[in-house]
Amino acid sequence: MWGQANAFLLSPRRPTAWADLLILAAGAAVLFGLVQVGKEWTGVHRPAIQLDLSPWALPAYTFYSLVRGLVAYVLSLLFTLLYAFWAAKDRRAETVLIPLLDILQSIPVLGFMPGVVLALVALFPRTNVGLELAAVVMIFTGQAWNMTFSLYHSLKSVPADLQEAARLYRFGWWRRFSWVELPFGTTALAWNSMMSMAGGWFFLMINESFVLGGHDFRLPGLGSYMSVAAERGDGRAMVAGVVAMVVMITALDQVLWRPVIVWALRFRIEDTTGGEVPRSWFLGLLRRSRLRRRIEAWRLRRGRREARRVKKAAPAALPSAAPATPALLRTGATVALVALGGTLVYGSLRLALLLLQLPLGSWGTLFGAAGLTLARVLLSTVLGTLWTVPVGLAIGLSPRLSRLLQPVVQVVASFPAPMLFPAVIALLHLIGVGLGWGSVLLMLLGTQWYILFNVVAGASSVPSDLRETARSFRLGRWQRLWALYIPATFPYLVTGWVTAAGGAWNATIVAEYVTHRGEIMKTFGLGAVISEAATQADFRTLAAAVLLMSTVVVTFNRLVWRPAYQLAQTRYSLTK
Amino acid sequence: MADEPALCELRGVQKWFDRGTGKPLRVLEDINLELRPSEVVCLIGPSGCGKSTILRICAGLIEASKGEVRYHGEKLSGLTPGVAIVFQGFALFPWMTVLGNVEAVLRARGVPDSEAATRARQAILMVGLEGFERAYPRELSGGMKQRVGMARALSVNPEMLFMDEPFSQVDALTAEGLRAEILQIWEHAERNPSSILMVSHDPKEVAYMADRIVVLSANPGRIRTVIENRLPRPRDLRSPELLALVDQIHDVITSAELPDVVVSTVASSVADDTIEPLPLAKGSDVVALLDYLTARAGSADLFQLASQTQTPFDRMVRMVKAAEMLDLVDTPRRLVVLTPLGQRFAAAPPADQQRLWREGLLQLRLFKVTRELMELRGGELTRKELLLEIANRLPTEDPETTFDTLVAWARFGSLFHYSEEQGRLTPGEALGAVA
Repeated sequence: MWGQANAFLLSPRRPTAWADLLILAAGAAVLFGLVQVGKEWTGVHRPAIQLDLSPWALPAYTFYSLVRGLVAYVLSLLFTLLYAFWAAKDRRAETVLIPLLDILQSIPVLGFMPGVVLALVALFPRTNVGLELAAVVMIFTGQAWNMTFSLYHSLKSVPADLQEAARLYRFGWWRRFSWVELPFGTTALAWNSMMSMAGGWFFLMINESFVLGGHDFRLPGLGSYMSVAAERGDGRAMVAGVVAMVVMITALDQVLWRPVIVWALRFRIEDTTGGEVPRSWFLGLLRRSRLRRRIEAWRLRRGRREARRVKKAAPAALPSAAPATPALLRTGATVALVALGGTLVYGSLRLALLLLQLPLGSWGTLFGAAGLTLARVLLSTVLGTLWTVPVGLAIGLSPRLSRLLQPVVQVVASFPAPMLFPAVIALLHLIGVGLGWGSVLLMLLGTQWYILFNVVAGASSVPSDLRETARSFRLGRWQRLWALYIPATFPYLVTGWVTAAGGAWNATIVAEYVTHRGEIMKTFGLGAVISEAATQADFRTLAAAVLLMSTVVVTFNRLVWRPAYQLAQTRYSLTK
Repeated sequence: MADEPALCELRGVQKWFDRGTGKPLRVLEDINLELRPSEVVCLIGPSGCGKSTILRICAGLIEASKGEVRYHGEKLSGLTPGVAIVFQGFALFPWMTVLGNVEAVLRARGVPDSEAATRARQAILMVGLEGFERAYPRELSGGMKQRVGMARALSVNPEMLFMDEPFSQVDALTAEGLRAEILQIWEHAERNPSSILMVSHDPKEVAYMADRIVVLSANPGRIRTVIENRLPRPRDLRSPELLALVDQIHDVITSAELPDVVVSTVASSVADDTIEPLPLAKGSDVVALLDYLTARAGSADLFQLASQTQTPFDRMVRMVKAAEMLDLVDTPRRLVVLTPLGQRFAAAPPADQQRLWREGLLQLRLFKVTRELMELRGGELTRKELLLEIANRLPTEDPETTFDTLVAWARFGSLFHYSEEQGRLTPGEALGAVA
């Protein structure tokens, strides 16, 4: 879309002065924005803020939300680097860190909320910093886990010969990380960052306007704008909010993620990209900056000159430094591991004490709610599969369609579905469908894109010789579907299912419990239990329900998704 | 030269890998090897003889399970100083330019940045890559990539240059040029590298490069012979002396891999529970070999077989070995001759071929044991159980490879069924009839 529309700008590949000007202007704008954010963050903490629903207030709100998302992303990236590296390098830590990450991933955002908000607000009682940080941390919980998994898996699968070369030529641990391991993981991390950033927006409405036991912790931002608009039933403001969100996502996609992904192409291992090579007009623009070219050319010339000058000189003896992993690092890791272990034990003890106070009868209700919610999650996954498979195949198998629709799907998938919930609920209300079934639709709205995304990717990777075979033997449409396309896309489908089901679980907390035009609508289910408990600051129920949800999710992953994944890797793999 | 200590030396080195349960996999047995100053030593042998493992133990990348590594006469653990390796798969960092790849290893040694750039450019110049400094490895051909690998190795001014099948992923013509260039660089006596240790599977390459040729045999890897190569340099690949040497290397390998005094494959003569390892070859390959021999009056020279069919030599050896185990061919010296059974086999229709194949398999102990075990377990055997059995009975073989070969051979004769998903081996439909 944008890339193509602006292609004419790229045709003269000369460096231009206005690229430099643009960079300077952008720098100035960012600086101005940051000063504004600084004012807002350090401003005096107000008990409750008033949100302005006029569209003119939107740019500022959107900017505030954007900054929160970006700060959260930086946090996620730092966390990812540290956690993934630690887990990949330290055998002992790995046995704790990876299962822990699995559990963290399954905890819905409301499970983190009370602790984070109360702690941070207590830490900064007078300014907005505490609340802002709380929102950032909650966005972080929607971003970080996936990125960490991605980098961990990359770090574990660095090709053996690259590792050997690094050892032989005596790269120290830092060089090994920054020259070998991190670059190897960069491509996957870039794609994952894009997806994770989208995941971070999912709960923006909650993150910026949470209510905890009668306390209203609200921050100015796009999410709170939307939630206020929904509460008041202000249709015009809701539309304006959705438009602002789409603009923000598209801009991020074009100005941040496209360039990052194109840039990350240089880290791919082999030239095996069969499909379309991603392009970015923005990166092209940056690369055409005159300043940059001058510097590069100068460095190259200087290097060549020097090589000629000392060409004949005899090679001097080389220092043979062999930096080992510093002992300090080892001890540090051990101390950190012990501290982490201690915290975990202490935390579980406190949790157990808290849970003991819960009457037995409540557990029965919770289990019933969990069963019902599980059924909704599965139903939404099935429904999602039913429509996305044919559509995804149609898109993926046609190069023209996928070129046109892929970017659109990407933006749509990044859009936080809860922002559309008010409109959908109004619609459901109109046709008389209750939230019991309606929540399935709401969950579907958020998660179907993951399946679609993967089916499209799977369909475009079906080898052309197999497709030609199917055609030449005149396989019918139905037979082609079952004999070729479904098996060939199965591995992608499984990935889509895992992501979609995970997302659906998370979405239950906003799908089963909704505030609409000032009144609360809810249906029986684990998500509703969690939301209600959080609103009423009923920490016992909240802890029990979050624990139960995370147990169900982890168990389901182990018992269903992992075997399915195994099957996909062995029987339906096209690369083996 | 004799009183000068070797640059690098292996003494009584053994290597085994623990494979979870069962006995460890023995890879190397009693390796004694030295690399003296100013020489080129080549390791050659069939696949699985551990030649790359020896190279890595010398470099200190892998630790020996037993025995010691010495550097200038001193015992050593960890990385051996003064070693640079040119890798089979290049092992270039794809995200660094040609220049970056070379600079990186210099900077890792603590060379200041500006000097690293200079030295890197010198090394690039030396291997003839000037002008490609800013290219990424993925833009280069295999031969060019290996030049970068060479530049990287030479840039650290190594005392010893190790090369692990450096030209096996490079086209033949380019490889020939690179070999000559490496020797030219090495021949400067006053300059590093002083010595070269190279792993190869190509007798011609070895005869061209080496001062000493170490021939290894497999399972477990051990040194069979060391051939001194005193041909004057520069050598001519087409000279009769060199071709005679190539022939000699061929002979040594053949006598190691296909000994004339064959341990009989008839079961009754094997009283203990030793089992013959299966060569990694396919049933269809063996049939093709028999067909080929039939078309050539029933016999052919092993090396001509390999070169005429453009099959890598060690793969051809495995095919012949498999055929010999089943009594389909005989190998007097370097000849491969069809046996009467082999002749019958080649002439038979596919169904009869399958029967003959099956009968042959049932003469082999491994298949007998498998079948007995299967009957003991009530007509089915899990992969796990059989892997354990193989690991116990064939401690020098990789159980998984042996298992895969066993399944492939059994399938070829409809002897057993194997379901990959269930990991279960069951009798084939024809098994009852044979028994």
